[in-house]
Amino acid sequence: MVVPIGDYVALAAVIFFIGVFGVIVRRNPLIMLMSIELMLNAGNLLLVAFARLWLQNAGQIFAFIVITVAAAEAAIGLAIIVTTFRPERFVDVDDVRSLHG
Amino acid sequence: MASHALGVTGTYPLVLTLWLLPLLGAIICWAFGPQLRTMSGWLASALVGISFVLAVASWSDATQGAGGTLGAHQPLASWLPGFDFGLLLDPLSLIWTFIITGVGFLIVFYSIGYMDGDRAFARFFAYMSFFVFAMLTLVLSDNFIGLLVGWGLVGLASYFLIGFWFERQSAVAAARKAFVINVVGDVGMMFAIFLIVANVHSINFGAVFAAAPALSAGVLFAICVTLFIGAAAKSAQIPLHTWLPDAMEGPTPVSALIHAATMVTAGVYLVARCAPLWDHSHGAQLLVGGIGAATALVGAILGTAQWDIKRILAYSTMSQIGYMIMGVGVGAYEGGIAHFFAHAFFKAQLFLGAGLIIHALADEQDIRAMGGLRRRMPFAFWVMLTAVLSICGVPGFSGFFSKDAVIYGALQHGHPWVYATDIVTAGITAYYMFRLLFVAFLGEYRGEAAQARAAAEPARRPHAPAWIMNAPVAVLIAPSVAIGAVLMFGGENSPWQRFFAPLFGATSSRAIALPPVSEGVTTLLVFITVIIGFAIAWQRYATRSAQADAVARLRRESERMPALLTNLLYFDWLIERLFVRPAQQLGALFGRVLDPHVFDGAVRDLVYWARWLGTLVRSFQTGLVRAYALILVAGAACFIVYYAVAAGVR
Amino acid sequence: MIAFWTLAAILIGSAVWTIVAAKPVYSVVALLINFAALAVVYLTLSAEFLGVIQIIVYSGAILVLFVFVIALLSSGVAPFAIGPNRLPKIWIPTAVAVLAALGFLIFAVARAPQGSAPATAPVGNQGVFGSIADFGKALFTVQLLPFEVTALVLMVAVIGVITLGGEQMREVRPRAQAATDRRMREAILREGKG
Repeated sequence: MVVPIGDYVALAAVIFFIGVFGVIVRRNPLIMLMSIELMLNAGNLLLVAFARLWLQNAGQIFAFIVITVAAAEAAIGLAIIVTTFRPERFVDVDDVRSLHG
Repeated sequence: MASHALGVTGTYPLVLTLWLLPLLGAIICWAFGPQLRTMSGWLASALVGISFVLAVASWSDATQGAGGTLGAHQPLASWLPGFDFGLLLDPLSLIWTFIITGVGFLIVFYSIGYMDGDRAFARFFAYMSFFVFAMLTLVLSDNFIGLLVGWGLVGLASYFLIGFWFERQSAVAAARKAFVINVVGDVGMMFAIFLIVANVHSINFGAVFAAAPALSAGVLFAICVTLFIGAAAKSAQIPLHTWLPDAMEGPTPVSALIHAATMVTAGVYLVARCAPLWDHSHGAQLLVGGIGAATALVGAILGTAQWDIKRILAYSTMSQIGYMIMGVGVGAYEGGIAHFFAHAFFKAQLFLGAGLIIHALADEQDIRAMGGLRRRMPFAFWVMLTAVLSICGVPGFSGFFSKDAVIYGALQHGHPWVYATDIVTAGITAYYMFRLLFVAFLGEYRGEAAQARAAAEPARRPHAPAWIMNAPVAVLIAPSVAIGAVLMFGGENSPWQRFFAPLFGATSSRAIALPPVSEGVTTLLVFITVIIGFAIAWQRYATRSAQADAVARLRRESERMPALLTNLLYFDWLIERLFVRPAQQLGALFGRVLDPHVFDGAVRDLVYWARWLGTLVRSFQTGLVRAYALILVAGAACFIVYYAVAAGVR
Repeated sequence: MIAFWTLAAILIGSAVWTIVAAKPVYSVVALLINFAALAVVYLTLSAEFLGVIQIIVYSGAILVLFVFVIALLSSGVAPFAIGPNRLPKIWIPTAVAVLAALGFLIFAVARAPQGSAPATAPVGNQGVFGSIADFGKALFTVQLLPFEVTALVLMVAVIGVITLGGEQMREVRPRAQAATDRRMREAILREGKG
């Protein structure tokens, strides 16, 4: 391990705060969700780096669990977005007649 | 000096029963009034009558023992050491119990006729029974707290009964006035009890009276004065007398029982009961004697200016109670109590007689609208005549013996000014009582106009048989004529004096050695003033020329009545100016300043700040997810800084 | 060393692109780059299994999901938000504060004493630390309970998504039914007239 652990921590911190920025500044719910993914990945990076530092694979396992939770969270979040922001709810194309004269 | 220790302790079921029976009657009449209807009157009077029989049966118990243990003592409950509650039936409370239950029985019985047809028939008898119970509590208690409880309960009963016809604004106002003034007295008594407990550490009569000689003069005087505030309020003594004439708004039997015979004499009972205290405080004797005499005079003077038959009797009551208070105040206990005893009969008789007239004339109370009733109602006339003769102290009647005993007692105990006032008052009494009698009963009937009005209305009450109302009055005639001669004739050796000798000791031991005027001369003086009063009344109202143009003369007299008398010597005005208005202004001040700016203001400020805080906190609750994230991050940043600083990173 | 810094540069750059991109599709592309670089970082940290999982789950599943949603909402090519920005303009001071905290953190980390890594154990893919075999053995023996809990979490997520979608379906069906009824009524009326 040639790279000092402090560099990993700094890198993770930078990515995490970029994610924070994204959540706060952006208004697009999709990009906000992606920012959250960024933050989770920053956390994962720390876990993996420290697992390597102390040669304990519990950190990797935890990162694995975080990935599953992130997947679940993305699924739920996207479902909410779809439910909330979907402008047209009809499935019958015949009913979409906003343009008729 | 008599010892006032408690009586022979034991179990006296008679005393307990006679105390509780009226309460039972009150509860039954109150709870089952609609079911009982007219039966409630018979029930209430029967229970009070049984109480009277039991009181007579307890005679031997009440007079047993001597010295330290006179009378019957029944323990009820123990509280702290020195604070025991019980009933005490000794000669003094026995006399009061006789009047309360005996005269009470006659009046309650009379009420069956008087209240016949009233909407709240049962309620009336519930109140009456409750009053009898309260009054018995007052006189039978063996301690000051029980006395105060009875004191308050009779005030409450009086309030109920004065305001019995609560549809009438004036009745409600009178009830409230009576209650407020009575509460002033209750507070006075409460302070007396505070003083007693602080100095004697006991509330029982025996212990307190035993400790009386050891108390300092100042403390004793303070106790006596505060006790007398209670007595003055209850017994309508100056300056707390103004409620009594207004209290005539109640039904006439109420006036007879409560505001003539029993409750208003509670002050006399109190002073007589606390005789050992007064015996040791010359200042208190002077004060109470003086106030009693002044009340007697003022009541008599105001009585001359009234036209309402019940108000005349109310002022005469006030005046006669002044005599009693004066008597017991200066130390002539037997005389004061004797006057109470005789007064209870003849004043009840006067009121019940007045009730007969009022009942017959469809609630007419103004004597100017009466006249000539001697021929229409001969029974009422003879009733009133004997009572008037008795109250005026015509020799041979009861009032003669009792009043002379009081008046002469003032001199015997060294109060010549009180004595002189009393003699003058006796003359005025004769004037206004005969004035009442002449205006109401002689001459021609003057109430046709009023009667025509009353007749136009449908008959308001079906009249009960006359004997229900006449019989009790007839029974009362006997004692009001003869009881003085039977009991009080014979000076030191009369049965009356011997009855009270164990309680108060011999009169001669308390009186001054040689009064300047003998008893015979006193009798003569009183008789002369009575004759003068009678003569003036005769001259003004009874002569043929006076009766010829009675209507015009009476109207002229009412118009020319001095302002001083029509305004009742400005007592009400003074009380209004000195107490009521300042109190109202203080209340208004509180309402204007203290309440809105301090109490309400505090609450409003609290509300304001709560709302401010809510607004502040609500401003974070934007509903914007990004704002929440922002706050979260700011918090996280704070944590980072905190831990960094805490870890010592520089 | 050089590899780390290169990867770090790619990670930061793609992350920044993710949040500044004008359209969500660009964000997805930037995020894809980011995840790929992160997978390489995992491999350099001898987390072989995680590197593979990172590619499969994130790039393969989650990002595809994002793309689907973008397509479904037909906003893949246009700026999503068109209303006023309701967040007050305090984001600049907030950004300053957050940046200050970040700088402080990095500064503090740099100043902190570096832990010496006990990297003496064999590292690699032959039954030693970080290998897939090592990871799998730990996952199914020592860490079995967390693994099972993960399964539970995923199941709950599936149920949640079905619930959300089901609500949508319940709303849609009656309206579609009503539209069909209306059409049938109109057809009957036409026939009646004809």
